[in-house]
Amino acid sequence: MDIKQNNVEEQHDSTQHYEVLQELGDCYTSIGNYSQAQRYYEKAAVLSPDEAGPYVGLGVVALQQNLLDDAEIAFRVACRLNKNCAKAYSGFAMIAQQRADYKQAFEMYLKSLELDTDNLVAILGLFQASCQMGSFAKVIYYLEMYLNMHPGDTSVMFPLAALYMKDGQLEESKNILLNLLVLDENHKDAANLLEEVEHSLVQTKQII
Amino acid sequence: MPDNPRTSKKYNKARKHSQVYFRAKKSKPVVTVLISTYNRPRYFAEALESIVRQDYRNLQIIAANDGGEDVINIVNSYDDPRLLFINRKENRGLPYTLNEALAQAQGKYICYLGDDDLFYPNHVSTLVNALENQTDYQVAYSDLYKVYCKVCPDGSRKALSKVVEISRDFDRFFMLYYNHVLHVSLMHRRDLLEKTGLYNEKVNVLIDWDMTRRLVFFSDFYHVPKITGEFYQPAGKCDRISILGRKNEREYAKNILRIRTTRPPKPWTKIKDMSIFFITEKINKQAGATLGSIWQRTFYPYEVYLPLSAENFEKLDTEMPNIIPVPVNPSSSKDQRIDAALTQCKGEYITIVPSGYPMREFWVEDSLHALINSSVHNEGFELEDSTDKLWSVLLKKEDLLYARRSFPNLPVRESLKAAGITIRRIEPEEIPFQFDQLLEKAKEAEKNGNWSRAVEMFAYMEKHHQNELWMKSLAAKASYMAGAHTRAFNLSQELNRQRPTVDTLLLEAKIKRSQKDFDSAIILLEKAEQILEGNQLLWT
Repeated sequence: MDIKQNNVEEQHDSTQHYEVLQELGDCYTSIGNYSQAQRYYEKAAVLSPDEAGPYVGLGVVALQQNLLDDAEIAFRVACRLNKNCAKAYSGFAMIAQQRADYKQAFEMYLKSLELDTDNLVAILGLFQASCQMGSFAKVIYYLEMYLNMHPGDTSVMFPLAALYMKDGQLEESKNILLNLLVLDENHKDAANLLEEVEHSLVQTKQII
Repeated sequence: MPDNPRTSKKYNKARKHSQVYFRAKKSKPVVTVLISTYNRPRYFAEALESIVRQDYRNLQIIAANDGGEDVINIVNSYDDPRLLFINRKENRGLPYTLNEALAQAQGKYICYLGDDDLFYPNHVSTLVNALENQTDYQVAYSDLYKVYCKVCPDGSRKALSKVVEISRDFDRFFMLYYNHVLHVSLMHRRDLLEKTGLYNEKVNVLIDWDMTRRLVFFSDFYHVPKITGEFYQPAGKCDRISILGRKNEREYAKNILRIRTTRPPKPWTKIKDMSIFFITEKINKQAGATLGSIWQRTFYPYEVYLPLSAENFEKLDTEMPNIIPVPVNPSSSKDQRIDAALTQCKGEYITIVPSGYPMREFWVEDSLHALINSSVHNEGFELEDSTDKLWSVLLKKEDLLYARRSFPNLPVRESLKAAGITIRRIEPEEIPFQFDQLLEKAKEAEKNGNWSRAVEMFAYMEKHHQNELWMKSLAAKASYMAGAHTRAFNLSQELNRQRPTVDTLLLEAKIKRSQKDFDSAIILLEKAEQILEGNQLLWT
């Protein structure tokens, strides 16, 4: 403790106001009040013009209103500000999905997950795009990775169980579904799928 | 040639006007608010507005232009009999300007505002209420937001964050070492200045601490943990005196020494004086070095008593203040020198220190803190680096006097023993600034990402070292970072009921959002946004 230290270069929290505006934008988006969400994202963009976050928010707001061109512009700005902005790539993927361009959607989700494996939107999006395309190999890898980081996340457990089943990994599928039903005993889709998996297992054993 | 501000017709008219005004208002005490400005007209206008719009109306407002850019139009835009304007054309510095304004002050209480800072409307009323209700206190202070901001091309300021950086309960020992009370948050009785003296015009940085340090000699400070204003820290270049003044390290250190060695006139009601008996046979290089170290490293108020022969005083060539020569016979023994100093000394505490004693920071204050807080009678402390050869001790004057009167023929050390005065070394739990050391360690834990450890430390400090709100706020944030969301939620909710800040509102909102309670999160966030925009607290 020495007051004679030339301590003029103090650290300051310069992100607090930005964070409040972003949180407001996100909350309003969550309740579907897009005009308010847009207002706060725009304020955040003015306050912190170098941040990609507000443009991701604006892109999501446009996407929710099916304004795909506006959304694309917003995500492009976000990418320009931060070329590693995983959420912007998820945004591009969602736009592609809306335009029924599943191949592009699949690539963009993958790109997003390469930058951030912890991105639930991209994981579930990738799952959807895979179902639409009928290609599952890469998806299983990302879902497993995500579940390792977030054990007990039921929103990922179910698609992974479904993919295991499609891939013929019946025991893995059954285990995940049993765990899921412990966590959420009212998960009807999981119960139905478990029934189907157990049936397939019996059939497989009979064949053997 | 500039007008003499104190004799100009306009000035005298305004003064007369305000005197009549204040004679008429007797129900509530008058508070004088001082604001000095220099070349910041835009912010000065906002600052002045925040004074004029105080909900406490019985004010005398003294605005002083310290020879900067013309602000007369701003002042003239108020037709307010409470406002007195000192329009000096030459720049004389802040202490001079404050003294000039204080000469005109009529309030029972005084408070201060920087020309780039802001009061919330309840600032004055909050502090007046505190002082009128807490009659043992003559000084009160509140908390302020530190606003880290960016300055737009048009000069307007945009808040990037508003943080209550310090919300510390009054700590006299710390205040002697350094300042923990922001001047803008301070209100004191005007008559205290008769005891402390005015602002020191030789001090050019830490001007506020120089005054608050002197105030602690005469009063406890009452801490009102309400946020009643803002002070600004622009991103990048900063023209605050407290920042600029630190850049010249030599000058800064000189100011600290000047402040620390300032002793207001006695009697002191809240501080006991310390007399340091410096024991040496002659002034030589070693003695000079030890004396210099005492000067550099002692922050508790002291005088150094030098029991030396007359010819040695001629050799004494130092700017060091607070030295009291005690003439003795050149052949005097060490004990005789101590006895000679004892007959003259005025301090209630006495430190005996020999030439060559190794001086480090807190060399005497560690033991002094223990002595001040000790409830045991007849007890003194051997300083930490004391040895048989360089024996150094701190004790109460009454104990030393008793020992010397009772056993004048024994050496000092023996006489203390014979008189039943216990001399011991301090225990680790007795050292001062434990709170600050813990805080430093907790911040370090945060820096290293050890959030759980930080939470434990903040909780411990809250329990054992006061500063409840401050520690709770830090614990809430650290809990969130540690992933202990329930604890973070409970703490932030409790704080938001008691005293919401942007940080605690944001924290609670984040947790509400994660629970998908978006409506509650929005209410909290909009409150935070209003504070950040300055809409809510300032003018409603």
